[in-house]
Amino acid sequence: MKDWLHSVRTLVWKDLLQEWRSKDMLTAMFAFAILTLFIFNYAIELSPVNRAEIASGIIWVVIVFAGTLGLNRSFTAEQDQGCFDALVMAVPDVSAIYFGKMLTNWFVMLFVSVLILPIYSLLYNQSLFNAGFILVLVLGALCYSAAGTLIAGMTVQTRMRDLLLPILLFPILMPVNMAVVKAAGGILAGAPLMDVQAWLVLLAAYGIIVTTVSIMVFEYVIRE
Amino acid sequence: MLFVNKNLKLLSFLAFLLVLAAFAMVLFYAPIELNMGIVQKVFYFHVSAAWIGMLAFLVAAVCGILYLNKKQLKYDFIAFSAVEIGLLFTAIANFSGMIWAKPIWNTWWTWDPRLTTMTIMAFTYIGYLLLRRGVDNPEKRARFGSVYAIIGFASVPLTFFSSRLLRTIHPTIFGADTGDMAMIPAMYQTMAVSIVAFTVLFATLLWHRSLLAARESELEILRAQTEVLEFGEVLDD
Repeated sequence: MKDWLHSVRTLVWKDLLQEWRSKDMLTAMFAFAILTLFIFNYAIELSPVNRAEIASGIIWVVIVFAGTLGLNRSFTAEQDQGCFDALVMAVPDVSAIYFGKMLTNWFVMLFVSVLILPIYSLLYNQSLFNAGFILVLVLGALCYSAAGTLIAGMTVQTRMRDLLLPILLFPILMPVNMAVVKAAGGILAGAPLMDVQAWLVLLAAYGIIVTTVSIMVFEYVIRE
Repeated sequence: MLFVNKNLKLLSFLAFLLVLAAFAMVLFYAPIELNMGIVQKVFYFHVSAAWIGMLAFLVAAVCGILYLNKKQLKYDFIAFSAVEIGLLFTAIANFSGMIWAKPIWNTWWTWDPRLTTMTIMAFTYIGYLLLRRGVDNPEKRARFGSVYAIIGFASVPLTFFSSRLLRTIHPTIFGADTGDMAMIPAMYQTMAVSIVAFTVLFATLLWHRSLLAARESELEILRAQTEVLEFGEVLDD
C-alpha cells in the first residue's frame, strides 16, 4: 500500500513537472477555453436575465472541451516513447498508473477552471465564487477524469487517436453533464444544497462506479 | 459453438414462424386502441425492439467480461455481433417510437429519459464500432472492445436515472401505477408473443452474425499469412 501510494505520487509529480516545464498543454487548454467562451458569447445572447441559469452550462461545456485536449495528451508521452511497458514494470500494481493519470488530469482541469472562473466573473460581472458551485465543479471534474483516463488510455493506442476520444467519452459522460449543469445551475439560481442533493448523490455514485470498473479493467487496456 | 448445425436451421425457421405469428397477431388479433387508434399498434414491435436493444448490449457486456477472463476470441465475435444487431434494433425502436409520437405527443421527438437514454446508448455503441475499426491487432481489438462494452453498459442505468430526474412523459406500461395506458388481455398476449418472437429472432441473428465474424477473422489471418509470403515480413500493428 505504501509502495502504491508512493508510485501514484511519483507519477503525478512526474506528469505535472513535465507539463509545468513545457506548459504546452496548459497554454493550449487555457486559450481554447477562453475562445470557447467568446464563441458562446456570440452564439447565445447572455442577457443579464437568463445569465444566471445558463452560466453553469457554459462553464461546464468550456471545461469539458478544454479537458478533452488535456486527456488526449495524457498518455501520448508514454505511447510515443514506447514507455508503457516500463511504466507497468515500475509500479506495484497497474491501478497506480490509472490513479496517477486520473489525478493529473483532474488537477489540470481544476487548474484551467481556476483560470476560467475569475475571467468569466469579470467578463459577465457575475460572481461564480460560491462554495456549492465550486464543489459541484470539483466533483464533476473528478468524474470526468475518472472516465476520461480509461478511455484516453485506449484511444491513444488506436489509429484515430484524438479523433476517437470525444466520440467514445461523451456518451458515457452524459450523466455527469446532466448532473453538473443541473446542480450548478440550481446553486447559482440560489437554491440551497439540499435541493440539488439528488444530483450530488448521482455524481458520487457515478464516480464510484466508473472508478471501480476502471480499476478492474485498466490492466487490460495497458498490458500487452 | 460457432459452427452451422441442425439447431441453427431449426432456430432460424422458428424465428421466421414466430415473427410471422407476431405480425399476424398485431394486425388481426390485437384490438384498435380507443384513444390512439391504429397508430398504437406500432407499440408491440417498438417495445420488443427496445427490449432487444437493451438485451444485446447486456450480452455484449457479459461477453466482454468473459473475453477478458478467458481470452477466447469467440466471446469477442459474439459481443461484436450483439452490438451490431443491438444498434439496428435500437434504431428500429427509436424510429417506430417517432411514428407513434408524432400523432400522440404531436412531436417527433422529446427529451424524455427513455428516448434520450436509448439514443445515447446507441451512440455509445457507434463509438464501440469506431473503436474497433481503429485497432488493427485482433487481440487488442477484442480487449479494447470488451473494456468499452463493459464501461458503456455500466453507464446506461446512470444515464437513465439522471434523465429521469429531469421528469418524464413517456407512458409506463409495466409496473405503472399511473394508468397511462391500460391494456386488455388481447393486447398483453400480442405483446408477449412479439417479445418472444423478437428474442428468438435476436438469438438467430446473433448466431449467424457470430459465425460470420468468425469467418471474417479466419480471412484476416489468411490475408496476413499471404502478406508474409509475398513480402517476407509480418506487418504488425
